[in-house]
Amino acid sequence: MRKDHLLGLTSAVAMAAMLAATGPALSAGQAPELEALVASGDLPPLEDRLPSNPLVVQDDSIGQYGGTWRMGMNGGGDNGLIVKTVAYEGLVRYDHQWDKVIPNLAESWEVNDDATRYTFKLREGVKWSDGTPFTTEDIAFAFEMYQDPDYAAGSWIDNKNNLPSLEVIDDYNFTVVFEKPNGMFMGTIAGVDGIHITSLQKKYCSQFHPNYNENAAADAEAAGFSSWALYLQDRCAWGWETIRFANPELPTIYGWVIDQPLTANATRVTWKRNPYYWKVDAEGNQLPYIDNLDMRVSQGGVEELTLAALNGEIDFQERHIATTTNKPLFFDGQEAGGYHLGEVIPSASNTLVLQLNFNHLDPVKRELYQNKDFRIGISHAIDRQEIIDVVFTGQGEPFQVAPRPESAFYDEELAKQYTEFDPDLAAQHFEAAGLTEKNGDGIYLMSDGNPAKITVDVISALRPEWIDMLEIMQLQLGAAGIEIELNNIDRTLFYEKRPAGEFDAQVWAGDGGIEALQEPRYYFPFSDESVWAYRWAQWFNGTRPEIAEEPVDWAKEQMELYQQVRASGDPDERADLFRQVLAITKEQFPVIGVGLMPNSYSIIRNNLKNAPESMFNAWLFPTPAPMDPVTWYFE
Amino acid sequence: MLAFIIRRTIAMVLTLFAVSIVAFAIIQLPPGDFLTSYVASLSATGDQVDPRVIENLRNQYGLGEPFYIQYGKWISGVVQGNFGHSFEWKRPVWELIWGRLGNSILVEGLAVIVMWLVALPIGIYAAVRKYSLGDYLATIAGFIGLAVPNFFFALILMYLAYIWFGTTLGGLFSPEFETARWSLPRIWDFLTHAWAPVLVLATSGTAELIRILRANLLDELKKPYVVTARAKGLPEWKVILKYPVRLALNPLVSTIGWLLPALVSGSVIVSVVLNLPTAGPMLLRSLTTQDMYLAGAIILLLSVLTVIGTLISDVLLALIDPRIRYGAK
Repeated sequence: MRKDHLLGLTSAVAMAAMLAATGPALSAGQAPELEALVASGDLPPLEDRLPSNPLVVQDDSIGQYGGTWRMGMNGGGDNGLIVKTVAYEGLVRYDHQWDKVIPNLAESWEVNDDATRYTFKLREGVKWSDGTPFTTEDIAFAFEMYQDPDYAAGSWIDNKNNLPSLEVIDDYNFTVVFEKPNGMFMGTIAGVDGIHITSLQKKYCSQFHPNYNENAAADAEAAGFSSWALYLQDRCAWGWETIRFANPELPTIYGWVIDQPLTANATRVTWKRNPYYWKVDAEGNQLPYIDNLDMRVSQGGVEELTLAALNGEIDFQERHIATTTNKPLFFDGQEAGGYHLGEVIPSASNTLVLQLNFNHLDPVKRELYQNKDFRIGISHAIDRQEIIDVVFTGQGEPFQVAPRPESAFYDEELAKQYTEFDPDLAAQHFEAAGLTEKNGDGIYLMSDGNPAKITVDVISALRPEWIDMLEIMQLQLGAAGIEIELNNIDRTLFYEKRPAGEFDAQVWAGDGGIEALQEPRYYFPFSDESVWAYRWAQWFNGTRPEIAEEPVDWAKEQMELYQQVRASGDPDERADLFRQVLAITKEQFPVIGVGLMPNSYSIIRNNLKNAPESMFNAWLFPTPAPMDPVTWYFE
Repeated sequence: MLAFIIRRTIAMVLTLFAVSIVAFAIIQLPPGDFLTSYVASLSATGDQVDPRVIENLRNQYGLGEPFYIQYGKWISGVVQGNFGHSFEWKRPVWELIWGRLGNSILVEGLAVIVMWLVALPIGIYAAVRKYSLGDYLATIAGFIGLAVPNFFFALILMYLAYIWFGTTLGGLFSPEFETARWSLPRIWDFLTHAWAPVLVLATSGTAELIRILRANLLDELKKPYVVTARAKGLPEWKVILKYPVRLALNPLVSTIGWLLPALVSGSVIVSVVLNLPTAGPMLLRSLTTQDMYLAGAIILLLSVLTVIGTLISDVLLALIDPRIRYGAK
């Protein structure tokens, strides 16, 4: 990581130098196949395809053209792999260390003091994969589509709580204007959400909309769709929708364009280079280096992918195959398979978050779960080291739900409080929480005389280790006087139960370990994923007023602080405010964690160069795309 | 015979109608609908979808309507050959499933043929040479095939192929043949891939077939007509194959109709493990995402196969067993 960091710094400096140089006269090179197309007149020459100021991507070494990057998708709807490999092309992007926002399609930007007006300057001469210029017209069209009530999506562009509007200045300059201050906007669009606004080409997509084509409805019907909206969705689709990658005709701005599309029957999805890609290496050679991508589609089982990776048939991958149980297997197979393992640091802080329902419909349980002593008691009754040893072969350490050590918000006290296994201390806290009587089975009785039994909802299909962990916790907590019942259910039921409020507890992984500021679901009642205080979160968001409940004072204070975070344009001030939110989290201890999510790994073929030996992994930082796969090459 | 077939066909249509109602109702039983599971997956990635947006979509997709209206729309389309749209893939269902169903029938049909080709001679041999070494060996081999779970057998095959030959088993074609037209090289490529699933699927049913055939044949072999035939000096192979085997096949033939659906449902896990693009994994996925028209269509088509299979087995039964006659005097 450190070496990479230094390189990142030098590359940032070098890039700044490049950008400063006016009209760099680069001795441009391109892939041999494109060379041939230009010679035969089927493709304009390179200088006509590249923008006047192409984005220069620095990496360890200058590469060579050629090769196919083989990887594997899991199941049919694995659009996530595509998003995280080729589709991460927004106005701006994150640097390799995930701490700076750097230019991408926008070469520069300005923010006003109260963070309501963001003015961008697009790179001049960037072209879509069909050769059409990428201009503010396309940005305006995307804005219009996302805010169209018939084509609603659910992104920052149509966020009803702070609706942005667009002011177009000319072909390359535009301003996004927010109703209320939005200090986190650059972070939002540098993450995976940034691709929404750059995903719709007006020239192609407008033909399906009645505002631009009076026959849109008839065309849709002729194509077998019941409304123009469904037809438009089928052809163009939203930022990262699965079917977006099922239409090879859809122009994009990615490094590779679809060859064999992602359809329900696809057994492989393939990509070829985009001849109009607008990035170059330090010597001015057009990127990407790698000719083709080949994603084999498995039918939902990862056994075949695992064997393929062992057999050297996967060139770079982390997703799906890098499980804890497979690690020894992949470690042993390195020499035979001609690959090595890279380090992957997860963004999640915790392997399992136990969320007791603060808004339970049963007043007795509601009061008990909201009692901090009760939660501290549970936390002390868990022998975390035993779980880490048994389930995670010793990887990880006892940890609460808190920012990870790699995060700027790491706070050892928050991360480690109440993590020591101490049954006596647990008993003291249970007593303080009003649990004094036990029944014949040694289970505490709640104030209504019923045994203290917690039914924990879990989706084992998502993470099989959750069940293993919970079964151990069941024994440990049972010994301490709390009965745990496991309720292994399907994902839809899991979500349906939340608004109803009649569940005891649910478990999930500790999102927000690194991106704490953007994903504070466990630190205060922030979103629908703040399951522990679902109805308070509704009060904060205003999305489901019918079930919203007014939060207690400390939570309201956190919400107040977070609104100030959103309203501030100054990163230092935001960090300072967010630390105040976390201080209240530490004081209130809302959710219970088990262990630090151990580092994962990636499979890297030995002949693949420029691939990251170490990287973060998250959805908001859609790895490996921020590590610039367009500069990777085969030796 | 013709009257019988006509009567049965009418009954088949009524059966399918009932099945379609039940299937559609079962698909709708789990809480929520396609949009709930869609929102769940979005929400898990940190994307907030406004409930009003979902309500809009629900109306667009016709998901807000009561059961009987949704069913009515679907089934009236099905009658006209329109199986509706898949929510997840935004495509006509028919376009999605015909290739998958074709693969299923191909692979599973091959498995049935292999199963019969293996089980019939062994069953006959095991009955004729009762309690011989061969009988025991065949029986043990058959039982191992029955006892080893299919998915496990598939995993072992994959592992051995990797260890011994350094290849990754899986899929039905090599990349270069996947989208090619059928040709001799493609058929060969298919066979080099399909042997593994065919072997896995065939072994699971072989033991059952062997035991049924062996038991039936043992009963028949003791009957007086066999003794008579032998006494008349008929060659031994003719004595056995001409009459007792035909009769012993009776219970096997009458269950042909159940084979296809059993194979499709039995092959879901094998298909997932061996990465076969058959109907099984698609059905599984459509059920978990509550893509109800897609799931409904697959279930309905499996039911069609079952009833057609039953009809075929009845007709075959009449052909091989002269004692069975339907109606015609």
